[in-house]
Amino acid sequence: MTRFFNEARDAYLLGPLRLALSTLLLWNTSRGIVELARGGYFGDFFHIPIVPEAWLPSATGYAVILAVQIVTGVMAFLGVWPRPALLTASTLGLFVLTLDRLQYHNNRYALLLLALLLGFTPCDRSWSIARRPHTLPRGERVASTLARRLFQAQVSLIYLSSACGKLVDADWRSGQVLFVRFASTGEFWAARGVSLPSSLLQLLSSAFFASGAAKLAIASELFLAVGMWLPRVRRFALYLGVVFHFTIEISARVELFSWLMVASYLAFVVPEVRERRFVFDAGSRLARALARVLALLDWCARFEIVPNDRAARTFAVTNRGGRTEYGLRGAALVAEAVPALFPFWLPLYVVSRTRKRERRSLAR
Amino acid sequence: MTTTRRLWPKLRVASCFGYLSVQLALLLHAQISPDFVFGFQMFNASSELKIALFRKVRTSRKHGLVPVKDGTWQAKSVDGSLHTQRWNARVHDGVLGTLDRYVHASYGLKAQLFRLQFALDDVAHHLPGDAETQALVAVVDTRNNGHQDRQVRLTGVKP
Repeated sequence: MTRFFNEARDAYLLGPLRLALSTLLLWNTSRGIVELARGGYFGDFFHIPIVPEAWLPSATGYAVILAVQIVTGVMAFLGVWPRPALLTASTLGLFVLTLDRLQYHNNRYALLLLALLLGFTPCDRSWSIARRPHTLPRGERVASTLARRLFQAQVSLIYLSSACGKLVDADWRSGQVLFVRFASTGEFWAARGVSLPSSLLQLLSSAFFASGAAKLAIASELFLAVGMWLPRVRRFALYLGVVFHFTIEISARVELFSWLMVASYLAFVVPEVRERRFVFDAGSRLARALARVLALLDWCARFEIVPNDRAARTFAVTNRGGRTEYGLRGAALVAEAVPALFPFWLPLYVVSRTRKRERRSLAR
Repeated sequence: MTTTRRLWPKLRVASCFGYLSVQLALLLHAQISPDFVFGFQMFNASSELKIALFRKVRTSRKHGLVPVKDGTWQAKSVDGSLHTQRWNARVHDGVLGTLDRYVHASYGLKAQLFRLQFALDDVAHHLPGDAETQALVAVVDTRNNGHQDRQVRLTGVKP
């Protein structure tokens, strides 16, 4: 157990994770600033503090806290003392969260906790915009993975808690909560001038569908809590997570929650970099364009991109296990490892597998 | 020095478990908290509530409850001058600040009723120019996840 927590791994991926979380922190603080500018200081009106009332800062004090959060958020984003900056921004954010129950939201709490934990990770060793080199050499990036494990545990706890909360709620378990929400979907879109197909409305008003969706949502969260730790099912868990959060984002108002959770998946990606190869035909314009796009989107530094003057194919992709694929199956291997293309992974994987089967049956 | 170096990894793991234990304790506490504070109930229930506000007044002519229209009322102070009071002057929250109209009860009915009690007490404590109002009463129509409607009455007494 001690070795599991104290192993040394490449910290490269914690850099993009820092960028993502500091962006969300800035977004969250900006909301506070807008609310302060529009509605005034919440302490002057009805509020329910979790901490003693005496701990509430003055309006000026609150404005200073928000300003410090913005400055430290920008510092974390740029990579200027990013770890102390993240710790300061998140600690102040957690303090602000305890000042008023009315402003407390679980997604904000989750963001601040994850940002706090990220501050303990070696997230300053890559993607530092303010420093040259932006990313330290591999030898200097390898560091203890303890805080990253804690970050991962926190993500799992969020899913586990959310799933358990639904499991103990009879209305959630039975699908009643979703049934009421789905039933009002037609009205919601009609008010915005969009009329949904009658077959879809019929489906949404079905108690059976709502019951199934509720059970699926609970099962998905339980699977996400556990599946992301298991290498064999991790990519399916991450894919399910992306689909799950996309569905939530378009169907419910959960502020930053979906973005936060999808960004936090970076902590579950295998930390070692450039273990895959993308070999492309240097003589082909298409292959060169594909290589350029891949270099642009490969935020997780998964690929070593290699030009080949004598390539027989436009491109060849070799995964971590040494398997080389071309064409559609090669594209599936690329999509599997590139965050922006990840939603295309499963469709590409399924299509390429189907084609392979068809070819085999034709050959027989 | 050597002992410290040997103990360091174990201490780090111990602090890790300490953090997780605190998190678990907070999660358990959230389950008994009316508004799930420090829990991770990410998706709202589908409940709704409609708050109708009334004043319990102290005059010789009026008895019982006087309805508050649009969250605004006028009342005399001790010196007899008329003052306008507004519910939204103190309650800025989107759910609790909306009167006489059904709104979505984010974090569930229990959470919103818990907060409404605080809001009534708060407003009742901040009526400086109102010598007539004895208490604020909220009559709340609730729709709990599409189940049968239920009415709840909450009172905030002026000190």
